[in-house]
Amino acid sequence: MATQSRSGRSRFEDFDRYTAATYAVYLLGLAFFIFPVLWAISMSVRPRQEVISVPLRVIPSEFTFEVYRNVLENSDILRWVWNSLKIALLEVAGILFLVTPAAYAFSRFRFKGKRAVLLAILLFQMISPVVIVIPLYNMMAQFGLLNTHIGLIALYIGLQVPFSVWLLKSYFDTIPEDLDKAARIDGCNRLQTLWHVLLPSVMPGIAVVSIFNFVFSWAEFVMAFTVLNDSKLFTIAMGVYSFQGQYSTDYRAIAAASVIAMIPLLVMFLALQRYFVSGLTDGAVKG
Amino acid sequence: MSTETDTGTKDPSVTGTERLRSALGRFVWLQENPIPWVFPAIAVLLAFRLYPLVEVVRMSFTDMSLLSDSYSYVGIEQYLDVLSAPGFWTMARVTLIFVAISVIGQIVLGLILAMAIDYGVKKHIRGSVSTRIAVLSAWVIPGIVIGIIWQLMMIEAPYGVLNFFLTQLGFDVVAWLSDPQMALLSVITANTWRGTAFSMIMLYAGLQQVPQQLYAAAKIDGASAIQRFRHVTIPQIKPVVFINLVLITIYTLNTFDMIISLTGGGPGRATQVLALFMYFKGFQSFNLGEAAAIAVLMLLVNVVMTFVYMRFLIEEEGI
Repeated sequence: MATQSRSGRSRFEDFDRYTAATYAVYLLGLAFFIFPVLWAISMSVRPRQEVISVPLRVIPSEFTFEVYRNVLENSDILRWVWNSLKIALLEVAGILFLVTPAAYAFSRFRFKGKRAVLLAILLFQMISPVVIVIPLYNMMAQFGLLNTHIGLIALYIGLQVPFSVWLLKSYFDTIPEDLDKAARIDGCNRLQTLWHVLLPSVMPGIAVVSIFNFVFSWAEFVMAFTVLNDSKLFTIAMGVYSFQGQYSTDYRAIAAASVIAMIPLLVMFLALQRYFVSGLTDGAVKG
Repeated sequence: MSTETDTGTKDPSVTGTERLRSALGRFVWLQENPIPWVFPAIAVLLAFRLYPLVEVVRMSFTDMSLLSDSYSYVGIEQYLDVLSAPGFWTMARVTLIFVAISVIGQIVLGLILAMAIDYGVKKHIRGSVSTRIAVLSAWVIPGIVIGIIWQLMMIEAPYGVLNFFLTQLGFDVVAWLSDPQMALLSVITANTWRGTAFSMIMLYAGLQQVPQQLYAAAKIDGASAIQRFRHVTIPQIKPVVFINLVLITIYTLNTFDMIISLTGGGPGRATQVLALFMYFKGFQSFNLGEAAAIAVLMLLVNVVMTFVYMRFLIEEEGI
């Protein structure tokens, strides 16, 4: 009886202590990770006189959206958002077109050298695009694609092939091969099988690949910075960076531009959270 | 389609259906070969990934410049010049500090969060989902924007929000971005903020793989929580920690966007890490050859890390 009550009490203490610790971690984690985002928003919606007031008001006394109106009217930011949207969607379309058949083949065919090719693709994925930015710049110059969206889209597609192949292949791998064998016996050829039988099942994978490519294109900076020159052609990441240089002391405007640049991704993330988590774990652990 | 016109128009004795069948047959045969399926993706891969790699190595042996069209080969001397340039070792030191501390920060924070959320989910503690979402949302924000947001928080006047909190707690105002050592610390903090989500998710996935019986058995044997962590959790998640370590080292080493908008590499060269150093050499000093040589050094580190990662992956997951 004595031991039982002792272990009972210690379990209770355990529970209490660990629950308290968990709450503490949650609280600190929430504060550390949410505060910067909230701060950017808070900065962008405060009246002018509260930007550099001492003592600082963490929460503005009133909310005003005048700076958003200024930024939208007096800068190219809408154009940059549009450019990024266009580039990201075309990149996703191009990637899916290229990568779906390849991922299917790497999952379903057995051929000599498959493993070596897959590992080579993984190697390419691991090498950062920053390393090859100089030859890529020369390549774009040779083809006259500097300062064009087509050039940038082509670069993005090219750079994202390895990651996308691996990720999509891992989704094909989760679908039992009996499913397509049955379709083949029923007289479907491979293309029909892929289209009618496998694609519907692999849709979550297609969604994850699309989302990750969209986020990549939206956020990418180095290549855009290297290829694009004309501010009318800037992507949102490039645009916000140039905006920061131009309005270095107008903190409210910079904050507003940053909020505009991150809101689409945050909304998308909140809506499609499940896909993000599975993509992060599958994409990373399996290569 | 082309086969149909090839055979069809010349030979009237072949019926339409037969023609179609032979075309289809050829099409089906083609489908049974993996090459047409993978060819487009592989071709793009060779053009945008392999060719530039070969090219960057070739360029590293030349004196290529953005300012002139002609160039000549200078050979290995390029590397000797790069390694003996005065700025190089300063940059290497800055990079090493940046990578080492950021990586440790991301792993430690990621592990603490992953374990808390793992515990919280099992015990149905409120806030588990919100915390996970909050951490992950940092990962979605573009690097450029992350740099800008942290810069806004690190305004050095008393009205900068971080300084405001410090002065409220009775400390002095800190020169977050204009003091060289503080600037490096600031860049490391922002990078840790950005990268922790990835570590957290990976380590959380790793924790889910630990068989629960092991904990139960350890408990029966009288192991304390710390002992369970040391003798059950750590050995079980070691593979995931290792993979995570390699991946975030590579990511951190190649960081460019966040630093360029947070400090631009400054003050002076206090936060000029490898990627910025290479980029500026190429596109600000126009010295493509030298920049390519620095890129090759960067490539070597990437490749070594990747091989470590792949060996491990092959052993663990049997790819």
